[in-house]
Amino acid sequence: MNAFIRGLLDIRRGPWEMVASVLIGVGVLMLMQPFWMTLYTYSFIVILVGTVMFLTVSHFPE
Amino acid sequence: MIQSQISKAAEATPEPVARRIRGLSDRSIAWIFVAPTIFLLLAVNIYPLLRTIWLSFTNYRVNRPNNDVDWVGLRNYERILSDPDIWNTMQATAHFLFWTILIQVLIGFTLAYLINKKFKGNNLWTTIIVLPMMLSPAVVGNFWTFLYQPQIGLFNYAVGFLTGTDPASFSMIGDVNLAPWAIVIADTWMWTPFVMLICLAGLRSIPESLYEAAECDRASHWRQFWTITVPMVLPFLMLAVLFRGIENFKMFDLVVQLTGGGPGSVTELTSINLKREAFEKWRTGYSSAYAVILFVTVFGLASIYVKALNKVKQR
Amino acid sequence: MEPSGRTKWVASILVVGYALITIIPLLWIIATGFKSPSDAIAYPPKVVFDPTLEGYVNLFTERTRATEETLAQVSEGATWYEAIVHDQGMVIAGPSRYGERFMNSVIIGFGSTALCMILGTAAAYAFSRFRVPLKDDLLFFILSTRMMPPIAVAIPIFLMFRSLGLNDTHLGMILLYTAVNLSLSVWLLKGFIDEIPIEYEEAALIDGYTRFQAFYKVVLPQAATGIASTAIFCLIFAWNEYAFAVLLTSGTAQTAPPFIPTIIGVSGKDWPAVAAGATVFLVPVMVFTILLRKHLLRGITFGAVRK
Repeated sequence: MNAFIRGLLDIRRGPWEMVASVLIGVGVLMLMQPFWMTLYTYSFIVILVGTVMFLTVSHFPE
Repeated sequence: MIQSQISKAAEATPEPVARRIRGLSDRSIAWIFVAPTIFLLLAVNIYPLLRTIWLSFTNYRVNRPNNDVDWVGLRNYERILSDPDIWNTMQATAHFLFWTILIQVLIGFTLAYLINKKFKGNNLWTTIIVLPMMLSPAVVGNFWTFLYQPQIGLFNYAVGFLTGTDPASFSMIGDVNLAPWAIVIADTWMWTPFVMLICLAGLRSIPESLYEAAECDRASHWRQFWTITVPMVLPFLMLAVLFRGIENFKMFDLVVQLTGGGPGSVTELTSINLKREAFEKWRTGYSSAYAVILFVTVFGLASIYVKALNKVKQR
Repeated sequence: MEPSGRTKWVASILVVGYALITIIPLLWIIATGFKSPSDAIAYPPKVVFDPTLEGYVNLFTERTRATEETLAQVSEGATWYEAIVHDQGMVIAGPSRYGERFMNSVIIGFGSTALCMILGTAAAYAFSRFRVPLKDDLLFFILSTRMMPPIAVAIPIFLMFRSLGLNDTHLGMILLYTAVNLSLSVWLLKGFIDEIPIEYEEAALIDGYTRFQAFYKVVLPQAATGIASTAIFCLIFAWNEYAFAVLLTSGTAQTAPPFIPTIIGVSGKDWPAVAAGATVFLVPVMVFTILLRKHLLRGITFGAVRK
């Protein structure tokens, strides 16, 4: 966990990609869950942020 | 910009490779080799993508070319993301995704595990199992409607034979409760081999020495399975799940031929719904926004997929 | 650690059982093609039946009902397929559209595959041998084009093709399928070319070959198997594709997949004809799949998983 946070602070690719992947995953779950309309409404923005973030952070150093 | 990238590429090529003896320089060759591909993809993929994004902010309709095209800002997105019908479509897709992936992973992994026991003739049977995966989903889907016919259909007959129910008493594609399962069954029949093949690759990538070491430690088979087999296959399984997830998220051909989205809209997956909006109601601007939402979602999932691919590649 | 004889036995029973179940729908398609319409919809489903070519004849012909007198007149010197139609109380009015649609599939399939292999091999070679900056990004971009939902892509392509006059043309479909298949061919071929030791080309270059000559005299023959299996993958994709075909073609360039489901008989759906059409269309792919079995895994994972 400490290594993960240090990776984030050092702007390393691995942990940031993980954060972006989790965002995309959460967004997709929000998009398709049957429980709460509000979650559906804001799912796209979460996926968009996750995707753009992924594209950006995959250029960070390893 | 591409040219400059390729020139940089040629300059960066190491000396022995870049040796120019006679004829064209490496720089021009790299340019000549990559340019047509990039050009075609720009024309057939990027230009349309940019056009979709632009259209998604307008109220353009293809079937009314004389109407003024108004800039409507984010209104299309607002409407789609607060539309309960589209939300329902997403849930139909979720049902399809969840069950197809779960069942295919269970059956596919089991089959791979069994095939990996290397019994006699396993290659022949693997090839037979793989056949459905390579066929045209639309043609196969169309034929499955025949198998699903009440009374005369082979599927109904088999179910009737095994459970004793009357084969004429249920209709897999006509019943609101059964239709979502009809598409899950057909998709499972078609794509289980895909998961199986990838799991098999994962199983075969495990070095024998790991099991031998475990054997020396007197670890039980059960324990070996959970501490060696499963963790080693997991990256491959991830790959299969992500790929099936992306494919089934955009599923169109098989399901549109099987049920056409019906009865009602219980099997109306996103792609089928989008086709209705774009090519039957001709709401081009609105459906462009819809398309952009699907694009971004698939693009996000695809980037995770490529990450998983690279992880597996290193093995 | 070799599995015990008993484990193998149980495993083989289970796998063979699954294989048999999975193959039944395919065998059923083939069998239905040789049934008469009444046998096809019999209850209980008929496993043993009198084979007939009626389905195939119906698939390739258009028929009209004829009176007893006309039938008596034409029955003199009728060929075997005419006789089959006459037995149904009809005469052949002409060939059906299926032949045309099938040829469209052949033209578009082979055309796009050829183009895709030319472009793909060149690009894969460049990606494999030159250090392209942003290579990973370009490769990801190329791959992501294949992931896109066809229906979403079809909206702007439809508009673009319409303004260029490419709607419902062979050329339009060939270009489109080439673009979709490029991702697969570049990724797969890059993998195959990566495996060819670079020393071969260096030796050729030292021997006085130009880069071009080294490419087609050294690299291409070495990559022949890879190119062949990639080509088959591209061909199968173009052959099977439905979404673009149904949205962008309607007449002249329509391929078989959107056509086969529309085959309808005189009274209700003519299932033997549908099955015959499907058989003619699917069997080549089954044969190719069997030929490809060693490279299947590579093909479905874009070359990432090799063994």
